[in-house]
Amino acid sequence: MKENGKRLKHFLFDVLLWTYAVTSLYKIIYQNYILQVRYLEYHSQEFIFCLIAGAILSFLFSLIPQFSIFQGFSHKTNTPYLKRPYFILFLFILIITFINGIHFSQFSLREFFSESGMDGAKRIFWSLLHPNFDILGESLKAAVETVFMAFMATALAIPFSFILSFFAAKNLTRSSLFFKIIYTSARFVLNGTRSIEPLVWAIIFSVWVGIGPFAGMLALCLHSVASLSKLYSEQIENINEGPLDAIRSTGAHPVQVIWFGVVPQIILPFLSFTIYRWDINVRMATVIGLVGGGGIGTMLMQYQGTARWNEVGLLIIIIALIVWAMDTMSSKIREKIK
Amino acid sequence: MMLKINNLKKIYPNGHQALDNINIEVQKGEFLVIIGLSGSGKSTLLKCINKLHPITKGQVVFNGQEISSLKGEEMRNAQSKMGMIFQHFNLIDRKSALTNVLTGALHKTSIIKSVFELFSAEQKEKAFEMLDIVGLKEKAFERVDNLSGGQKQRVAIARALMQSPSLLLADEPVASLDPATSHSVMDYLKKVNEELGVTIICNLHFLSLVREYAGRVIALKDGQLIFEGKPEQIDEDWFRKIYGEKAKEVFIK
Repeated sequence: MKENGKRLKHFLFDVLLWTYAVTSLYKIIYQNYILQVRYLEYHSQEFIFCLIAGAILSFLFSLIPQFSIFQGFSHKTNTPYLKRPYFILFLFILIITFINGIHFSQFSLREFFSESGMDGAKRIFWSLLHPNFDILGESLKAAVETVFMAFMATALAIPFSFILSFFAAKNLTRSSLFFKIIYTSARFVLNGTRSIEPLVWAIIFSVWVGIGPFAGMLALCLHSVASLSKLYSEQIENINEGPLDAIRSTGAHPVQVIWFGVVPQIILPFLSFTIYRWDINVRMATVIGLVGGGGIGTMLMQYQGTARWNEVGLLIIIIALIVWAMDTMSSKIREKIK
Repeated sequence: MMLKINNLKKIYPNGHQALDNINIEVQKGEFLVIIGLSGSGKSTLLKCINKLHPITKGQVVFNGQEISSLKGEEMRNAQSKMGMIFQHFNLIDRKSALTNVLTGALHKTSIIKSVFELFSAEQKEKAFEMLDIVGLKEKAFERVDNLSGGQKQRVAIARALMQSPSLLLADEPVASLDPATSHSVMDYLKKVNEELGVTIICNLHFLSLVREYAGRVIALKDGQLIFEGKPEQIDEDWFRKIYGEKAKEVFIK
């Protein structure tokens, strides 16, 4: 019974692989490269046709021993990979995947080395090397805006993450069902928030509170809360539980147990993570500016939109300097407090 | 009667039965030593007494009060009257010896005050006294991670004494110390027992230490109590019964 289920699983996986191979061969290689169809259209009937073809192919191959790809990989023998029959099929599919990749990413060496393209690149690099210092004052103001945006986002995230992290730590929440539910929901919300990029949050908040640094700060703050809580709670899960037992055994209140048993062990790693987060936030604040989060990123977007490359050059220099300074500072501080 | 344990049974959530049908009576002022192999349930027994672990079945009567069913503030009240020291000291590494001793007074300090470490003058004075008892008064402001193993265990004793306990539980207090330091720590426990009249229940590994310090001994094997008596009564036969046929006694001097 179990053996049959396994075989079915292998077969279904092979059908998937063969369908993929047939679809790519037909659409990308035949229609795109051989027939040179200009606008590829994708129909669902075609896909069903490919699926049937894939199923037939994998059925035929499964009749020959050792030609099922998935079964081959899960089967343990000492034969070197290159000498196993199914491996040729695997290589074939790998090559198809590369061809697909080239097609979909519109990879083109011709574009890369084209005359006009090279000229444009030269022009941009030339003007980047000749930054326009007339806008220095304005761009420094935007840079300051970015750094403080990141600072506020980090600072506001600290208290929230600090409290949340205790509820998202497994070793502190296993005492009762109530805490286990809190743990699960805290983890769920945090993971959900973290999996949405700050860029997307910035778009949401720029609609909510209007384009500008405040929207960017809110986006960074939300994302910081999610990732700091995760880092903090992992740190809490790694603590030595001995002192907790000791404090608990004196008859201390649970709050006191956490304050004396947990907090002294985590305070320095927390500080280190927080500084690192500020560093990350400064970089992210620049990117977020591109979608209307304010600061130097917004300025960069405005100048590149009007192709004023000398101004863009100055902004890039300033961004590089800030990132370098933040990076050096944060790594120095983190080393000191280790 | 200081402590009475009736039919104590402890099964861990993973199904492992650590203790079965344990009956012990401890008189006031006793120095009771528990011996047995690692995993025989010694640590579990101590942690069941002061409710670090919930017990599965049975009763623990401490100073005439049944404490195994207590919860919340009442449980913490009972816990505060029992001190405990541990094999790995379990101090707060980043804090001074004095602060560590003061954590023994947390039960009598409000949460707000303790968060800001606002201990009263009397409490601080008492903490100094306790450090003096274990001979570490001059190390009061030293961070405990700068102290040696023996000194750390003495700070832990002072922390337990800070609770003014009537019972002190010692979970293998010398297992991670060298022989000379072990004797010094055991001497302090003896002093606490004889001069301050604190009842002591102590887990030990070395029989030579047991013979020197114990007033009475009980032995556990696979979660069951198999011996109870004076240390002199542990002869060759009993030794083999407790530690297994192939065991050989190691002496610590």
